Parts: sequence; structure tokens; C-alpha cells
Amino acid sequence: MKILVFGQLTDIFGGSFVRMEDIPDTDTLVRKLEEKYPVLKRMKYLIAINKEIVRENTLLADGNEVCLLPPFSGG
Amino acid sequence: MKRTPKNIFRQGAIPASFVGESIAKHSSKTEIGAHSIFLGQVRADEAEGKKVTAIEYTAYEEMALEKMHEIRESAFAKYPVTCMHIYHSLGKVKTGEICLFVFTSSPHRKAAIEACNEIVERIKAELPIWGKELFEDEGYQWKVNN
Repeated sequence: MKILVFGQLTDIFGGSFVRMEDIPDTDTLVRKLEEKYPVLKRMKYLIAINKEIVRENTLLADGNEVCLLPPFSGG
Repeated sequence: MKRTPKNIFRQGAIPASFVGESIAKHSSKTEIGAHSIFLGQVRADEAEGKKVTAIEYTAYEEMALEKMHEIRESAFAKYPVTCMHIYHSLGKVKTGEICLFVFTSSPHRKAAIEACNEIVERIKAELPIWGKELFEDEGYQWKVNN
């Protein structure tokens, strides 16, 4: 699964996306990402599925657009 | 009236002349009695002795446009405004240049001022846009909104 990342997270992943396999839900996504990239544990970010922010564990399906959004700083 | 999502993004700085032209376009809308305008300008902040020379903006554009549409619709529902125009820069904007332009108009001043203020606050808090503050020596830091 391809996960899009933005802002300061692009520094951690070295680009605009990261690929992860066997991710049934968002809790697993966070756990696996933090295992692989421990620095993430100290970062604030939200998860968006199909442009909607999800705050509780949510099932992921093929074709979902999954994004990690660090704190916004527009304007 | 059903409004479709508008593209608020502009590549680079928003020219002062564009702001002037936007004001001029409203002279035929004679029911308007008040305009409120907010302009965000890139500030030369200093961090650890280094000066910011520009901000490079990136966004999750599709989500930002959907969210902006929601904010715009809720402002139209809440305030008796005649029209509203919103522009945000993407890419590099140098210090002293304009990166955000919010323009609301209404028959009387209160609605225009309050709608403008609410839209600016919501843009800063809710739109997935990120600013990378570039220093003169090529280093950078990620902008933090207060």
C-alpha cells in the first residue's frame, strides 16, 4: 500500500510517499511505521483516508488514499 | 445557489496589482457597502541567528480544495456576505511578498469583517498546507502556526 506523506514527514521518509505491506487498519499502520521509523513516535500527525481525517482505528481497503498529515502551517 | 469548489492555489506570490484588480471588479456590484481584506505577507523571522528569506508552500491540494469549499459554504450560511475570494500561494514566496489573500464583501461592514476573520483562522487551522521556511544559507525549518 502506498501512503502519501507531506510537510516535515517528507524529510523522514525521504520523499512524498512510503510503501507498506499487510496493513489491515490504521492502528497497524501506525505500529509498523513507528517500528520502521522510530523518529515518528516524537512527531505529531493525522491520518486521512480518502481526504477525511480519521481519529479512531479504521479498516483500510484496496484503493483507499491514505495520507499522513503533520500539523498544518498554511497562511 | 450551488457553488462548485474553486481552485484557491496560485503558483508563487500574489501580486499587489492582482489585489487592486480584484477590488476594481466589484464596482459594478452596487449592493456592496463594505469590503474586508486580509493579506498574509512572508515575514523575515530569525532562528538561531539565521534569517528566513522565503517560504516554500506545498499542499495536499485535493483535500485542501474540498475543505476550503466546506469553509466557504459555512461562511455563506453564517454571514450575509455578497461574495468571497480566497487565494493561497504554492511554491516559493519571498519575504515581503503576499502568500494569502482573503477578500469578503457585504452590504454592511460587520458581516464582511467577521467572515473574513473566520475564514483566515480556519484556513490556518484546517487546510492541509505546509510552509518550509528557507534560510539565506540554504538550510530550512518547517513553519509552525500559532
